[in-house]
Amino acid sequence: MKIKKWKSWLSLGITGSAALILAACGGGEAADGTDTGGDAASGDKIHLEMWSFWGEGARRDAIEAALDEYNSSQDEIEVEYVYQPWGDIWTKSLAAIAAGNPPDIIVQDINSVRQRADAEQATNIQQYLDQEEEDIQSRFYPQLWDTVIHEGEAYALPFNTDTQVLFYNKDMFEEVGLDPETPPATWTELEEAARALDVKNGDNWERIGFYPRWSIGADVWALNADGGTSWFDEEDNVKVNTPNKVAALEWMLEWQDYYGSDTINRYEAEFGQGIADPFISGLVGMRGQNINYYLSLRDNAPEDFNFGVAPLPEYEEGSGNWSWGGGFVLEIPQGAENPEASYEVMKYLTSTEVQEQFGMDSFDIMANQEANENLMEHPDLTEKGREMYQMAHKNLENTVITPVPLTAPDFNPLINGQIDEAFLGNKSAKEALDEAQASVENLVEQHQ
Amino acid sequence: MAAKAVTKRKWTKKQKKEALWGLFFVSPFIIGFAVFMLGPMLFSFYGSFTNYNLTSKMDFIGLANFKRMFTQDELFWTSLYNTAYYVAFNVPLTAIGSVLLAVLLNQRIRGIRVFRTIFYLPAILSGVAVYVLWMQLLSPSTGLVNTVLSWVGISGPAWLFDPNWTKPALILMKLWSVGGAMLLYLATLQNVPQQLYESAEIDGASPFGQFRHITLPMITPIIFYDVVTSTIGAFQIFQEAYVMTESGTAGPANSLLFYNFHMWNKAFVAYDMGYAMAMSMILFVIVLILTFINLKLAPRWVHYGGGENA
Repeated sequence: MKIKKWKSWLSLGITGSAALILAACGGGEAADGTDTGGDAASGDKIHLEMWSFWGEGARRDAIEAALDEYNSSQDEIEVEYVYQPWGDIWTKSLAAIAAGNPPDIIVQDINSVRQRADAEQATNIQQYLDQEEEDIQSRFYPQLWDTVIHEGEAYALPFNTDTQVLFYNKDMFEEVGLDPETPPATWTELEEAARALDVKNGDNWERIGFYPRWSIGADVWALNADGGTSWFDEEDNVKVNTPNKVAALEWMLEWQDYYGSDTINRYEAEFGQGIADPFISGLVGMRGQNINYYLSLRDNAPEDFNFGVAPLPEYEEGSGNWSWGGGFVLEIPQGAENPEASYEVMKYLTSTEVQEQFGMDSFDIMANQEANENLMEHPDLTEKGREMYQMAHKNLENTVITPVPLTAPDFNPLINGQIDEAFLGNKSAKEALDEAQASVENLVEQHQ
Repeated sequence: MAAKAVTKRKWTKKQKKEALWGLFFVSPFIIGFAVFMLGPMLFSFYGSFTNYNLTSKMDFIGLANFKRMFTQDELFWTSLYNTAYYVAFNVPLTAIGSVLLAVLLNQRIRGIRVFRTIFYLPAILSGVAVYVLWMQLLSPSTGLVNTVLSWVGISGPAWLFDPNWTKPALILMKLWSVGGAMLLYLATLQNVPQQLYESAEIDGASPFGQFRHITLPMITPIIFYDVVTSTIGAFQIFQEAYVMTESGTAGPANSLLFYNFHMWNKAFVAYDMGYAMAMSMILFVIVLILTFINLKLAPRWVHYGGGENA
C-alpha cells in the first residue's frame, strides 16, 4: 500500500512538472491567443504592435500622439506603441524575427535595410506600393529612398534623417574681423577663419578656432573630399585609398599637429554637455555637428548667443559641399501577421501632415520633403527654427547616406583601426588607407 | 523485466525509489541544462559548419568557416591576441590581489569588519555605471588616476585613448573588484586551524614562513577554483570593451577588440551567425584545453586537507 501511494505521488509530481514545462514553452502562443481575444472584444479591429527606441522626451510624445490620432481616426486598426531600449532593440527584434513571432512595425536603422532584406528579415512592401495611386516614393528625398530598395523592390519607408553642418559663433567672427554672414566655404577658408579665431597665450591654447574631428568622423571629411563617394562606391567597389581620401586624412593630421595631441585631449576631456558645451562656453569658435545640435543650443545657450549654421566647407572650389547623414526607417519584419495593415500605418506615419507635426515636436529632419518644406515656413517655429529647416533641406541635396554594403557589412573596425594608427603617428595617411583598402578587399573576398 | 533488471544490479526497491527521488529533485537542473545549455551548444556545433544567418540561410559548408578564420580573417588573430593578453595578466593579478587582500583583512584588529565591507563593496557594484565611473577616473588630463600619479611626479598615460594602455586600464579596473574572490579566501583563511600557527610559532617560523608553509597550502583548493573559473570568465570579456569605447568601436586601433567582441560583430553586425558559432567552438576548445591542463597540474600544487584521495 505504502509503496503504491509513493508511486502515485511520484507520478503526480512528474506529470505536474511536465505540465509546467509545457505551459512555459507554450507561453508565446498563449500570449498570441490573448491578443486575438482582445481583438474580438473590441470588434474586428486588427491589433498592431510598433517597436522603437524612443523612450522619453519629444520623440516619444510625438509618436504616441500620432498613433493616438490614428487609432481614433478609424476603427479597423489599433496600433500599440512599445518602447524597447536602444541597447536591446536590434538584437531583440532579430531574435523575434528568427523565432517567427515579431512585432508588426519596427523603427530600424536606415543603413542596414538592404542587409535585412537580403537575409529575409524584412517584408517586401513593393506590392502595396504598386497598388497605390499616390506615388509614395516621391514623398522622400531620393537618397533616402535608395536605401530601402533591394533588387529593385522596396522593403521599408524612410522616417527621419539628419545631416552634418558647420556651426559658427557670429559674435566671435565679428570680434576678430571676419564677416559673420560669410561663413567659410572651402577647406582653405575654414583654415583661415580658424587661424583668425585661435587664441594662444604662451604655450596654452585659450580658444580653438576649429578642429575637424570634433563631432564629425574622419569618414565624413573623406567623403566630402572625394566628391561624395564613401568608402564604397555605388557598385560597392572598395574606395578607401583614393588620392582625395588620402589628402583628407593628411589634412586632418595637419590639424592634429597644429594644435597638438595634448591640447586636443585636454579639450576633449573638458568637453561637457549643456552649458559646459565648449561651443557655448566659447572655447571653440566653429564646430562641425549633426544639425540636431541646434536643440542643445536652443535649450542651453544664453539668449543672446549668436550663432550661424552653414554647409560643411568643400574640399576645393567646385568639389561640392558634400555631407553625410543617417536616419531611420519604418519596416515590417518578416513574419508579421498583418503586413497590409502595418503598411497602412507606415504610410500614415510618413504622410506630410504627420511628418510635419513630428518635426515640430521633436525637431528631427524628416524623410518627407514636403514636411520639411512646410517647416521651413512654419509660423509656429521661431525664426532660428525655420532657418534650421531651410539649412537642412538645402544640405540634403548634398548629403550622402551610406548603407552598409552586403559584401562587407562589418568593415568598420578594419578602417577605423588603420585611421587610429595614422592619428597615433604610427603610420602615414597613405600607408594607413592602403592597408585599410587591402583589409576591406580581403573581407569582401571572404563574403563571396 | 524491470524487476529482473533491478535484481541483476542488486538494487533493492528502496534504493530504486531513492534514486528516482534523487533524479526527481535534480530534474529542474537536468531539464534546464538540456533545454537551455546542451541544446543550444549542439545547435551551435552544427551551425558552425553552415552559413547560418538566423533567418534565411543554413546550408552545410563543411569546414569553410574554420578555414576562413585561420587563413583570412585578420581580426580573428587581433582579437585572439587581445584576449590572451588580457587573460594572461588579469587571472594571476586578480588571484594574487585577492589573496593578499584576504590575508590583510584576516587580521584581528578593531574595525576590521568595516574595512572588509569597504573592500567588498566594489564587487557588488557592477555593470555600466561602474564602467562609466572608470572612464572618468581614467580620463587623461582630468581623471583622478592621473591626478594622483602627477602628485608623485608621474605623467600618466592616456589610458583608454592610447592603444598600448587600453588593456592595462581594463586590467587595473578589474583589480578594483577583487572583493568577490577575496570573500572566498577570507572564509577559507578563517578555517585554517589555529594550532598549526601555534606549533609553527613554537618551532620558530617567521610570519612569512607561516604564510608560505601553512596559509598558502591550506587555501590552494580555493586558489585552484578561483583560477579555473576566472580564466573561463576572462576569456569571455566583452561588456567592458563594448561600453568603454566610443560607440562600441573596440577602442583605438582595435586594441580592445576581444574575442567575444569580434564574435558579436560577426553575429549581429554581419549576421554571419555560422561563422560566429564556429568562433565560439574554437573558444570552447581553447578554454577546455586550458581547464584540462589546470586539472592535470592541480595535484602538484593543490593541497587537499583530507589526503590525496579526498
